[in-house]
Amino acid sequence: MRKKNIWLTLMASIVFIFLIIPLFIVVVTAFGESPSIQFPIKGFSLQWFGEVFKTKSFMRGMKTSLFISIWATVASIIIGVPAAYALARGTVKRRALLKNVFLSPTFVPGIVIGFALFQFLTIKLQMKIITSLFLGHFLISLPYIIRVVGSSLEHFDFSIEEAAWTLGCTKTKSFVKVVLPNISSGIFASFMLAFINSFNNIPVSMFLSGPGVQTLPIALMNHIEYNYDPTVSAMSVMLMLCTILLMWVIEKTLGLATIA
Amino acid sequence: MKLKRNTMLLLLPGTVLLILFLFLPLLSILFPTFFNEAFTIGKYVEFFKDSYNLGILWRTFKISMIVTIICVILGVPTAYFMSLTSKRTRSLLLAVTLFPLLTNSVIRSFAWITILGKNGVLNSFLLSLNIIKEPVGLLYSEFAIIIGTVYLFLPILITTVLGVLDNIDGDLIEAAQTLGANYFKSFTKVILPLCIPGILVGSMLVFTGTLTAYTTPQMLGGNKNMMLATMLYQEASALGNWTNAGVIALIMIVVTLLVMQIFNIIANQFDKRGEDENA
Amino acid sequence: MGFVELKNIDLSYDGSKYILKDLNLTIEKGELVSLLGPSGCGKTTTLRIIAGLINPNSGSFIVDGENLTNVPVHKRNFGMVFQSYALFPHMTVFDNVAFGLKNRKMDKNTIKEKVGRILEVTDLSQFAGRFPKQMSGGQRQRVALARALVVEPKLLLLDEPLSNLDAKLRISMRTEIKRIQQKLGITTVFVTHDQEECFSISDKVAVMNNGDIEQYDTPENIYKYPSTEFVARFIGFDNFFNVEKANYHNYKDIFGHQFVIDYEDSRTQAVATIRPDDIQVVPEDSNMNSIKGIVDVRTFLGDSYQYEIKTELGKINVNHKSEKPYQQGDAVYLLMPSNKIILV
Repeated sequence: MRKKNIWLTLMASIVFIFLIIPLFIVVVTAFGESPSIQFPIKGFSLQWFGEVFKTKSFMRGMKTSLFISIWATVASIIIGVPAAYALARGTVKRRALLKNVFLSPTFVPGIVIGFALFQFLTIKLQMKIITSLFLGHFLISLPYIIRVVGSSLEHFDFSIEEAAWTLGCTKTKSFVKVVLPNISSGIFASFMLAFINSFNNIPVSMFLSGPGVQTLPIALMNHIEYNYDPTVSAMSVMLMLCTILLMWVIEKTLGLATIA
Repeated sequence: MKLKRNTMLLLLPGTVLLILFLFLPLLSILFPTFFNEAFTIGKYVEFFKDSYNLGILWRTFKISMIVTIICVILGVPTAYFMSLTSKRTRSLLLAVTLFPLLTNSVIRSFAWITILGKNGVLNSFLLSLNIIKEPVGLLYSEFAIIIGTVYLFLPILITTVLGVLDNIDGDLIEAAQTLGANYFKSFTKVILPLCIPGILVGSMLVFTGTLTAYTTPQMLGGNKNMMLATMLYQEASALGNWTNAGVIALIMIVVTLLVMQIFNIIANQFDKRGEDENA
Repeated sequence: MGFVELKNIDLSYDGSKYILKDLNLTIEKGELVSLLGPSGCGKTTTLRIIAGLINPNSGSFIVDGENLTNVPVHKRNFGMVFQSYALFPHMTVFDNVAFGLKNRKMDKNTIKEKVGRILEVTDLSQFAGRFPKQMSGGQRQRVALARALVVEPKLLLLDEPLSNLDAKLRISMRTEIKRIQQKLGITTVFVTHDQEECFSISDKVAVMNNGDIEQYDTPENIYKYPSTEFVARFIGFDNFFNVEKANYHNYKDIFGHQFVIDYEDSRTQAVATIRPDDIQVVPEDSNMNSIKGIVDVRTFLGDSYQYEIKTELGKINVNHKSEKPYQQGDAVYLLMPSNKIILV
């Protein structure tokens, strides 16, 4: 280990405190007794966690968010993994262009995607809002799959696949038996990243909310606008616990560095 | 050849979905901005003539710039510090960095409301120390947007730069030291120039991220401190002016692509210098 | 008709630049044939066409009288060993070897028996439960070989299988490959860029250059009588100069030096060549096969000295053993024995 400079240590410490303090404050405010948010808190209570479950918009939002994020991510894997494979196999013409097409949702601001889908799919084509919401989240998940699975395919030795062919395995079967098991950690990583990103997304979902259809982050945002109370803190604590759980799973399976 | 056709088949579903559900919707919102019976760029001329719009455009740029600079100043040394720590400390610090990144941005903005609000943590702290006599309005300002956005994007810059630092050959620093460079010099003369491509990539992510950010300006900026994304939402949903929203949408897309292109060009220049041709 | 026949194979990706041009190759049953050549000569491409991994633009490929040109790779029943070994990282040695048998829908007991037998032949029995990552390079190499052989392939294809091993292991592995190949009597195509490796185990060698076969013969014949200048250079000949036939076995260079050559050649104009090892340095002129020169550069090779000698024919490279080395500037005579000098 190399020597560290005192100023460098000081600066880094301030940055880490800056990163952790705001969320720490949110956690503390969830346990107060007062109906308004206070810091430091007076008394100790878990009532706001009970409130979370009584807040209909949170519960409905949670359901919608889980439903949308899981299925959008699954869909993006089903569409994205074969595409990433085709792009990596290198026999495709205009590979760079096609790759950019698949990454294009990252070049378009989220709010613009949401606006475009709302206007075209929901208003013009009269699709259900939930369908547009699903498609929007599918679009923003796809680039994660292409990037992360693509990079694990870059490390994949394609002669392994060819070996399977020479041993009498058809192309489809080899893909399932030999390619997929060797990029499974990449697929898992891309799933986690795409899921977290989709679950947390706001700009795309902003336009795609309607009666009974609202993702959790949007519900939270609307709630804060009218009721600035510790229920939000309690909900935040619960979401943070989920984040910690996900981070723990990622650390145990892939190592956190893989998603950094 | 047969193989090629099969490969193309794997790309087909994704391409079709992207065309139907991204490119077509985009065309449908952008088309009306150019056509009012005949082709016209009148809507854009109008947009750029309005000083209110220009103010928002300028604010968006200004805030993006300030946020990027602050993130670089805070993030690069932090990433360097992390690269020097032991494996254990490092993974702990990485977790501390990633945790806010993976936490919902509504929660992160909410935290800053709690801190910066009239009855917030900061005001009551300053009041209790008698530094101020009455609460200061920190929230709903450009300052609040900047601090909230720095908080949003700092982890991205740190992890990007850390990734580049990890790929720098440790021998290089020792080589610099054997050649008489001291601690500070080996950082500024050897490490820093080598991680410039990483800093550029990180800066690009922060800059374009701020440029198109919606949640933080919406929650911490209030109606007086609009940025492009919040203006687009207001035009479309509150005012129902879809054509204007389309104009803003195209401006946002063009600016984002332009900024990415500029960063890429600069980063490529450094890449050519800093990396092996065949690496 | 041979056991394996490649006929008029053309391969081009863009229709103008040919990677293989009108390539023909015949292999007899049980032979080990090497494709030898520098990188980019098309040897690996030829092997991949045989394997069915690449389809040629035209031409045909026949094995045992059966036209396989349009048969896809997974139906060809060949065994292939890749340069990177290409073992399945997520499977044990046993499962790697059993993979091909499972694809042939064999019952479990037969698979177990066959895998067990081949692991014994390749000396891997005690590693059956290991994963490729837990094994050394040489062991992985044997797993790759076992995996290719267990399916009792019609053809065994080896793509530079020894290039990732260290020098010592390479020599023992090539003997091992030859032993197994002879024991099973399996027709084998071996791709390599290493001349020594190739000569040591091949029944026949095809020297390739620019997408075509320049010479196809036994290792002995190629070593002694390369048919083209490219082949000669590739296998260690040096010192090329033009000669003209005077009569029968006698040739003259442009300066009138006379050379006698041991074998008969019908050409009147040819290029003569000789290996640096085969030139003798003599103190006196003899009137045949000898030429005068001056020592220019001397380097020490361990068991001999290498000299660059200036002559009327240009620079001649000579490897020479002597107690007392020649110095720069020394005048010497170079004798090129009639049984060592050849025409290409």
